[in-house]
Amino acid sequence: MNWMDLFHATLPVTVLEVAALVVLVFDLALLRKAAANSRLAGAVVLGVLGCGAAAFVFYHHTAPLFASNHALLYNQAYSAVAQTAIFALTAMTLLLLPGTKFTRHPAEIVATVLFAASGGLLVVAARDLLVLFVGLELLSLSLYIMTAFAKSSEKSAEAALKYYLFGGMSAAFMLFGFSYIYGLTGSTGFDEIIQSFQQTGSAQSPLFLVAMVAVAAGLGFKVAAVPFHLWAPDAYEGAPTPAAAFIASVSKVASFALLAGLAYSAAFALHNGKLPVAHIAANNRVVAVILFLAAASMVVGNLAALAQTSVRRLLAYSAIAHAGYMLLGVAAAALASDAEAMTRSVNTVLFYVITYGLTTIAAFGVIGVVEQATGSNKLDAFSGLHKRNPLLAAVLLILFLSLAGIPPLVGFWAKFNLFAAVLGTGSGVVPFALVALAIAMSAVSLYYYLRVLKFAYVVEPVEGAGKITAHPVVLLVLVAIAVAVVWIGCAPAGLVDWIAKPGLPLL
Amino acid sequence: MTGLLHLWLIPLLPFIGFVLNGLFGSRLPKWLVSTIALLLPLGSLLVVALNWVDFVSASVPETFIERCPVGWIHVANFNVGFDFAIDQLSLVMLLVVTGVGFLIHVYSVGYMGHEEGYWRFFSYLNLFLFFMTVLVLAENALLMFVGWEGVGLASYLLIGFYYKKDSAADAGKKAFIVNRIGDFGFLLGIFLLIGTFGTLSFSGISANLATHPALQGGVLTCIALCLVLGATGKSAQLPLYIWLPDAMEGPTPVSALIHAATMVTAGVYMIVRMHFLFDRSPLALAIVAILGAATAIFAATIALVQTDIKRVLAYSTVSQLGYMFLGAGVAAYSSAIFHLMTHAFFKALLFLAAGSVIHALNGEQDLRKMGGLRNQLPVTFWVTTIAVLAISGIPPFAGFFSKDEILFATFNHGMLGQALWFVGLVTALLTSFYMFRFWYLTFMGESRSHDAHPHESPWSMLGPLVVLAVLSTAGGFIKINGFLEPSVGMRAEVANHSLEWLMSGVAVAVALLGWFIAHSLYGKKSEAPKKLAASLPFAYQTLLNKYYVDEFYGAAIVKPLQLTSKYVFEWVVEKGILGGAVWLIAGVPQFLGALLQKWQSGNIRSYAAWVAAGAAALLLFLLLTTHQLPVWLGNFQINGMAH
Repeated sequence: MNWMDLFHATLPVTVLEVAALVVLVFDLALLRKAAANSRLAGAVVLGVLGCGAAAFVFYHHTAPLFASNHALLYNQAYSAVAQTAIFALTAMTLLLLPGTKFTRHPAEIVATVLFAASGGLLVVAARDLLVLFVGLELLSLSLYIMTAFAKSSEKSAEAALKYYLFGGMSAAFMLFGFSYIYGLTGSTGFDEIIQSFQQTGSAQSPLFLVAMVAVAAGLGFKVAAVPFHLWAPDAYEGAPTPAAAFIASVSKVASFALLAGLAYSAAFALHNGKLPVAHIAANNRVVAVILFLAAASMVVGNLAALAQTSVRRLLAYSAIAHAGYMLLGVAAAALASDAEAMTRSVNTVLFYVITYGLTTIAAFGVIGVVEQATGSNKLDAFSGLHKRNPLLAAVLLILFLSLAGIPPLVGFWAKFNLFAAVLGTGSGVVPFALVALAIAMSAVSLYYYLRVLKFAYVVEPVEGAGKITAHPVVLLVLVAIAVAVVWIGCAPAGLVDWIAKPGLPLL
Repeated sequence: MTGLLHLWLIPLLPFIGFVLNGLFGSRLPKWLVSTIALLLPLGSLLVVALNWVDFVSASVPETFIERCPVGWIHVANFNVGFDFAIDQLSLVMLLVVTGVGFLIHVYSVGYMGHEEGYWRFFSYLNLFLFFMTVLVLAENALLMFVGWEGVGLASYLLIGFYYKKDSAADAGKKAFIVNRIGDFGFLLGIFLLIGTFGTLSFSGISANLATHPALQGGVLTCIALCLVLGATGKSAQLPLYIWLPDAMEGPTPVSALIHAATMVTAGVYMIVRMHFLFDRSPLALAIVAILGAATAIFAATIALVQTDIKRVLAYSTVSQLGYMFLGAGVAAYSSAIFHLMTHAFFKALLFLAAGSVIHALNGEQDLRKMGGLRNQLPVTFWVTTIAVLAISGIPPFAGFFSKDEILFATFNHGMLGQALWFVGLVTALLTSFYMFRFWYLTFMGESRSHDAHPHESPWSMLGPLVVLAVLSTAGGFIKINGFLEPSVGMRAEVANHSLEWLMSGVAVAVALLGWFIAHSLYGKKSEAPKKLAASLPFAYQTLLNKYYVDEFYGAAIVKPLQLTSKYVFEWVVEKGILGGAVWLIAGVPQFLGALLQKWQSGNIRSYAAWVAAGAAALLLFLLLTTHQLPVWLGNFQINGMAH
């Protein structure tokens, strides 16, 4: 490793950080006296340009980073796909900001979003426990700040504090797990850890079991998997709209790309001779942990969503349920025994999380608009939405039906491909049973999505309720996403091929 | 072959017409609607004609396949695309479809001139041409099925064109539902094709069969019979013919185009298109032949006593389609297509002429209220005469040649063939009789009409009639057998010319006999027909009521289905089982959801406790399940190897 390599490998991250600083300085120096609207507009434009610039350098200057003999950062293949998605989804989150009134410090929230995105880039690319931890903390700390950003709202502050305390505890669990892994193998690099497992067989030690459960608690917190999900409903409800959208999309993409990559590395090492076959037992335990979290998340997420009256909390539980489906795909990647099945599982998880992130950003966008107009995110705030703003109602219809997995929308293909990949890997009864459970739970989910749509389309608006207007930029983003949801749903091959194109590395 | 055939233009042009008239027609002036509706099919006709020139001038005739750059379905190794193919067979069919289709479009301008929804009619008519050309051009069975369903849709829309009339709406529904039964067979056939050959491309299946010369019967028979079920639906054969006579509720040009000349022949076309499959299944071929012959005579007997001018022609169509099936069933594919072509000419002519008569009599369709029209409608009279001579099989008109070929091929097809030949011959006698009965009742004798001033139709209607009359006269001399050989295969010729002459003689004699009987019964005003009917009351009533087939289907199929859906499905399944299940499915998760809601206490200390408890539970779960995991996850064999 030399400084030049480090510079190249982290250039996109650096560009995002610099963009964040530019946003702050620009606002401080030039726009201090300007109207709130133009300050917001300036910050958003600079932030989106920053995402674009980072994506640009990402496509022209990337190389994996190695330290002595193991990789520190890996930004090709599945990482590249996830990083590109992070750039795009971050830009869309920023574009939800125009028209919002929750803060008087627009430059600061834009900068925080960019910091969070750079943390996400590190998480996706990390091939070393310490890099991973730094990335996760950078991401998480930014998210806590974003959650707290609505300073005049008590709920925002409460949610942020809960999120922060919960997150700190999970981070402690995870570090505890990392320290055990380091103790067992004497290394923090993924490649060296695998080598050490090969030489010492320490993966079969009971200590590894403890380490794994501790790490599962940490990562389970990131993806809001049951039983580490309790922060999610509060955070989703209290956070300002763009923050909630970011937590539900970019943060999810980063975490699931990491999980899928880890699962792939484990399965690949196991089935390409790097690890002795006896390690299958250890791998099975990893898979069992993931499946446990998946099953619990699907059931709890979907059933608890039924009882919600706040649409934000409903989306939080739905996010938990979706995390459960995606964890099935992660487990399939870890369980796969041939390269094709591994690749397929990883790619379907990526397809799922990217399209899910896209859909959720827009869903939060709609909620934000309605909330700003009505002052509430309860179900009845959506009454008669199709009369108050038909376009917004149509967008909501498309998004929620897609989340429920109704063809020909993209959510259907995400679920279909994912479940097909899971069924294609395991010959055991458990993968089959869990897919059956997932499908049954998807049917349950249709109920609560339709309940929101019932309020939007069937229930009459309250007396005297006027039109709801959205900021044109926000509306444009929402409509564009809705069109994309339909378009990709009708012709999924384009996105599927784009994700599959880089292939998977021989790690 | 220039390779620049631009087949995609053929369906696209009528489709543009459909879109233009469908979207904007209600706001456009009438002349513009008709211009759009006429010019675009004319464009298709020109493209087809250019293709034909190309084909005739090319030294080596071959199948030309135009692959669509955008695929449709890719699943593993199975591909279906929007690919079009043209060969001699589809070329003949296309000429008939676009040629006769265009003439009927022209005719419709006059015939539908005073109708409300003029634009709607023409946009549907163009839609029909679009789907029909897709059906004909399709290079694979699935794309053909798209066209097949599409023409069904267009047919439904056009039968129900007078949708305010209950009988028209019902007839449209009946056509659609009966066709669904056939389509079900076609679909099963498609699935079996995928399963057997892994492809739906006609060239692919044919190449696959060529490499397995020993493959016979078995699954091929099964596929063929499924396809035949499809064909009997679309081509109105026994037992699914019942929709066609009712379809006459649609405007007359529709009956001429869709329910006589083109769409209903799609079944015959489909069988001939897949002849390589049918050639391997003698049983399926025999069933096609028997179905054809049975339908031919069955429908002809019903036609004997019908009094509605269009219903006579409808049953006659069913009967003639039976001839085509008979031809295809004895592997005389080119003869079947030949008859398809001549039939398109003279039957379209008959329908259009009938339309002219109906138009002249202000909508009167009852033969008993016509008569003596030969002086008032001279052009219509003469073209009808030509068509009647053609369909009756009197030389040198078109029908004689094609029918004669089918009968001769049937006679040479072994024992079964000779039996079917006799059926065909009797049908020819009946055909000649009922067609001349129709002719005498309409044009001869004295007027029985209440309308004293019937008027000849405008030239936009008579023009197409004259063109079709020329084709019906001379169509028999178009020798398409040789032309079709590359696509439907050589036919074993029986070099027995004296026998051939004898058969022709018998056929002509039979046709003349039919004419003679019709003349003696209807030639002059007499009570003979009534006396004959009175002397055979049972037979007469049976025929008049069309063998009570509709009543039989109603009692045997429709009524039981209605009763089952009411008492079993609605009461027991819907309200009892499903309703109860929904109640349970909705109630249990709601209850659990409310319970889980309590978990969310909002208390951060309890959250911390839950995280710790969750981690502990995970650890416990792992420790307890270590030995079951390989079995659960399905990798116990690999694991077993390790030890």
